[in-house]
Amino acid sequence: MADSGATAQPKPSSSVKLVLLGEAAVGKSSLVMRFVNNDFQENKEPTIGAAFLTQKCNLPTRTIKFEIWDTAGQERFASLAPMYYRNAQAALVVYDITKPSSLIKAQHWVAELQRQASPGIVIALVGNKYDLASPSSGDSAEDADAAPAAEGENPEEEEGADARRVPTKTAKAYADEESLLFFETSAKTGMNVAEVFTAIANAIPETSLKGPRGVGGQTNLGRQEDNRVNLVGGRTEGPKEGCAC
Amino acid sequence: MDTLDGTEWDVLIVGTGLPQSLLALALSRSGKKILHIDENGYYGGTEAAFSLQEAEEWEKHIDEDVSAAAFSNISITKSESAVSETTPSLSFSRAYSLALSPQLIYARSTLLQYLVSSKVYRQLEFLAVGSWWVYSAESDNMDNGEPSISSESGPRHGRLLKVPNGREDVFQDQVLDFKAKRALMRFLRFITEYEEQMEMWEDHRTKAFPTFLSEQFKIPITLHAPLLALTLSPSVSSQTTTEYALPRIARHLRSIGLFGAGFGSVIPKWGGMSEITQVACRASAVGGGVYVLGKRLSCIDGPTSADNSEEETSGFRLRLNDGEAISAQHVVGELSRPPISSATCCKSITIVSSPLPPLFPPIAEDAPPPACAVVVFPSGSLPLDADEQAAELPPIYIFIHNSDAGECAAGQSVLYASTTLTGEKGFQLLKKAVRALLLSVDVTPAPNVLWTLQYEQHPRPLISLLALDPDERPLDLLTDLAFDDSVLDHVKGIWQQIMGDSAGDFLVFEDREANQGDDDE
Ligand SMILES: Nc1nc2c(ncn2[C@@H]2O[C@H](COP(=O)(O)OP(=O)(O)OP(=O)(O)O)[C@@H](O)[C@H]2O)c(=O)[nH]1
Ligand SMILES: [Mg+2]
Repeated sequence: MADSGATAQPKPSSSVKLVLLGEAAVGKSSLVMRFVNNDFQENKEPTIGAAFLTQKCNLPTRTIKFEIWDTAGQERFASLAPMYYRNAQAALVVYDITKPSSLIKAQHWVAELQRQASPGIVIALVGNKYDLASPSSGDSAEDADAAPAAEGENPEEEEGADARRVPTKTAKAYADEESLLFFETSAKTGMNVAEVFTAIANAIPETSLKGPRGVGGQTNLGRQEDNRVNLVGGRTEGPKEGCAC
Repeated sequence: MDTLDGTEWDVLIVGTGLPQSLLALALSRSGKKILHIDENGYYGGTEAAFSLQEAEEWEKHIDEDVSAAAFSNISITKSESAVSETTPSLSFSRAYSLALSPQLIYARSTLLQYLVSSKVYRQLEFLAVGSWWVYSAESDNMDNGEPSISSESGPRHGRLLKVPNGREDVFQDQVLDFKAKRALMRFLRFITEYEEQMEMWEDHRTKAFPTFLSEQFKIPITLHAPLLALTLSPSVSSQTTTEYALPRIARHLRSIGLFGAGFGSVIPKWGGMSEITQVACRASAVGGGVYVLGKRLSCIDGPTSADNSEEETSGFRLRLNDGEAISAQHVVGELSRPPISSATCCKSITIVSSPLPPLFPPIAEDAPPPACAVVVFPSGSLPLDADEQAAELPPIYIFIHNSDAGECAAGQSVLYASTTLTGEKGFQLLKKAVRALLLSVDVTPAPNVLWTLQYEQHPRPLISLLALDPDERPLDLLTDLAFDDSVLDHVKGIWQQIMGDSAGDFLVFEDREANQGDDDE
């Protein structure tokens, strides 16, 4: 979906800084990899420090360019995250539906974001590894290979089955209480992955899209990105050396 | 939480101020094992940016804070009004990102070139610095017909005169007489290649710059102030030398137009240099650097190899504040207990209830809208009190950032004021200057001061290279108001020593992403 080769039209485009947070091994990097490269690795190595990727998301009226910061869940000293969620407009807080402790950790992240991040930040709570909850053979056969866009479908049917340890209801109730977007996904099958990013893109208020990264509450009256000074290209001279364009 | 005890590193970087962060960025692709620590619970060191709440915590805890060595006499004043619904008031804490060490970055600064070549500029936004103004105590100028701004009502106040922005401005100036214009044009022509005209200023090198202007160019006294303003000199005018002033004025003028018509310097959005330090540290973390806040280097136990030969040390045994023993080949950073030094300047940060539009006229037709204005109070322009010799007082510089800079709520602005007069007098002088500035800007409703933070800043040896060259003189990052490129030379020198023969190009990187194929000019 995102970066389909549709001919470049002068659709307004904005950057959105998005940060992924969550316990180690819940599948943050896998979600990003699915979104960016439509790919999945069975044994993905833990992220060290952080990773940075970008991906576009085409909405009907505009293009959103996600600048994605994927953090390391096993970050030992809890010192990095503040640098990544600073000025972020969106956060994807991930837990693993087979691991209740990861939801607790996710709730800690949500609380920290609400306390420290830009007030207008859009937060999505994501329960990953949905594929582990669906019985490979069973009643709800339609889910077996997770048809994309699980619209209107009710994952709660799977409750009690196999590896799932976090009921959808529990997480959903929490997300509603905190006004978070909520999805269950599978980076493995791709289920709901694009939907998460599209929902985030749609949830970012237009005002904060004009100048990227609204420090919350600011109304950026008609400001455009050309507010910024362009350091590369365009100009008559440009900095002499060092300017690699 | 994990412990660092027993870990081994190639490089330990102490402090997340700008020089250390740039070093971390430079080493981010080197494959070196890097531990980067900061004694504070926040990034940026002396370049940090704070929300209101963070500023208040900083004020309270500064004594326990080791960075106390860099700041002193911190106090916050909140306006007591703001009760009625109609009076403007502060927004919520996180609507603010107030920079402790705001600086202008000239378009020709190598910093911008390195941010581009290292690709981290993609995560930064820069905004244009617009007009420069000089305060004049006279509410009415004697020999021009220009009407003075609203002197009828209210207290007598001075006014702000716009500094001509290059030669075209001088041509078009209505106020200057022909002789003054000619003198100024001659000077501006000279400054474009002053390096080649040593004979013109050799004799004045270490003498006062105003004398040089008068004697060499017959520039009338009234024009000294705007030219001095462009130097951002911290000293009184009689102590601002020609050799100090010329390169700085040249830097200003040569930078104009580089990134767009009519402006020569920029500021980073979202809290000044602190934004650059964080972008640099993030890049280093992506490269595998380990970051720990609230961690301090408490002592150096000695060289790792306890063998006899003194020359070939293979690193250092170090101890951190929680008692963890680590070792590192190289140690770079702030000394944890720098020698006590006296303050070199007083600063204040004032949140004002108005965007002060008259200070931000459009720069030029196709230039971006300005987010910063500069107001200079020449030395002697503001007397402290009657029996004080005004001429002795140093100049005051005020950077005004509007809300486009992302440091305050919409409809407000932030005034960053500084002067090298220290102590209580310095603070008084800053208050006076802020008041004079607000009085001289014609806006309704009249702007209110909502919140003020004031502090003294001390010089600090910012980088010392313990492991490699004990003789290396630590860099005194002056509390300069424009980014000083020598910081980068210093960082580059350290980087070279750490990298040795495998150094390669300093801060030249490819984009990290594999999927860069899409666009991005
Ligand atoms: N079955 C299943 N496995 C998944 C899914 N997503 C990720 N995994 C696996 O879970 C493991 C961890 O995934 P990562 O994407 O590395 O997790 P992470 O959250 O980035 O981990 P850190 O970088 O350590 O914080 C890998 O072995 C993945 O293959 C999923 O949706 N379903
Ligand atoms: Mg990962």
